[in-house]
Amino acid sequence: MTETYVYFIVALLPLSALMLVLQVNPLHALVIRGLLGAIAALVDAVLGAADVALTEALVGTMLSVTLYAIAVRSSLVLRFGVLTDNKDDGELFHLLRNICRQYHLRFKLISYPDQESLEAALRNKEIQAFAHEQDTNYHTITRVKRLYEILETELSPSITSLTYQNLTNSVEKH
Amino acid sequence: MIDILSYLLLVVGIVFWFWGTFQLLSRQSVLVKLHGLSVSDTLGSMIMLVALLLKIPREWPLLLLGLICLVLWNTMLGYVLAYTSSDRSEHD
Amino acid sequence: MNGILIAMIITLLIPLYTGFYHDEIWEKMLAFATISCKTAMMILVISVLRDDWMIGVVAIIVLSVGNAGLMLLAHLIKRLDEEKI
Repeated sequence: MTETYVYFIVALLPLSALMLVLQVNPLHALVIRGLLGAIAALVDAVLGAADVALTEALVGTMLSVTLYAIAVRSSLVLRFGVLTDNKDDGELFHLLRNICRQYHLRFKLISYPDQESLEAALRNKEIQAFAHEQDTNYHTITRVKRLYEILETELSPSITSLTYQNLTNSVEKH
Repeated sequence: MIDILSYLLLVVGIVFWFWGTFQLLSRQSVLVKLHGLSVSDTLGSMIMLVALLLKIPREWPLLLLGLICLVLWNTMLGYVLAYTSSDRSEHD
Repeated sequence: MNGILIAMIITLLIPLYTGFYHDEIWEKMLAFATISCKTAMMILVISVLRDDWMIGVVAIIVLSVGNAGLMLLAHLIKRLDEEKI
């Protein structure tokens, strides 16, 4: 147990753990978590704990990383409703994509045929926000408080006006 | 004699590892890096496994299983990674 | 034998570095793939060095399981990327 290489191998573990902690994007952190699991299995095997190494490889590297990838995939997304005829054009969507990239969200445009179905989708929590054209400008409505705060600081009023709609008591503030 | 041969093969495997892994540091596309890595990870590791087989012939079933696992899974993984990473760049 | 293991640890440091500094997800996946293969090989070399069957079996299982998990993860990440567009 006193061979020199053991010390080097054990030193890899805090190194990769530090790498994992310094990641900001959740998906990148997941991949580094798998990497940490591989190195942890190596350390366990070197120190003679074969069963722990096997468990780390099966659970830490495969199961937990896959499950967390599915969790990240289904949670970190901004579903944005839009009318069918003004889909995917204009400065607003370009800006929204940039904001989403900044906050490591995925941006998903969902088109609806008319205004009523947009509002119904917001009420049914199918989408987090939607935009529709008002006169010459866009009008964006969101039901998520945090999203309202982010968009308020990032988007200028010349591009879109912004409204937060509280669904719990459904009072509209304009 | 066998001992020297096995050491030599181990060193050759390490050289393959170094050669393939250094391609990760270059500024090339993912597919080029994947090629270097599959060479190093499959060929280098196979050479090392043969060296271990020469060193301890007593454990041949385990090492042969490792050799087969390595060849099958690593080639398959190379294909899967190439497919998944190149499909995205076609959309861009 | 000791020197060979030290050289293996040095090769392990290169993908660690690239996995940390490149900001592209597929670069990180490549680093993960090569590290999971290299650690399994290192466990196997150590098992031969110590003449320990138990660790050797673990090495083979880690080798195949790590590759299988990587394929699953690669497909999941590909689906994620497609949704973004």
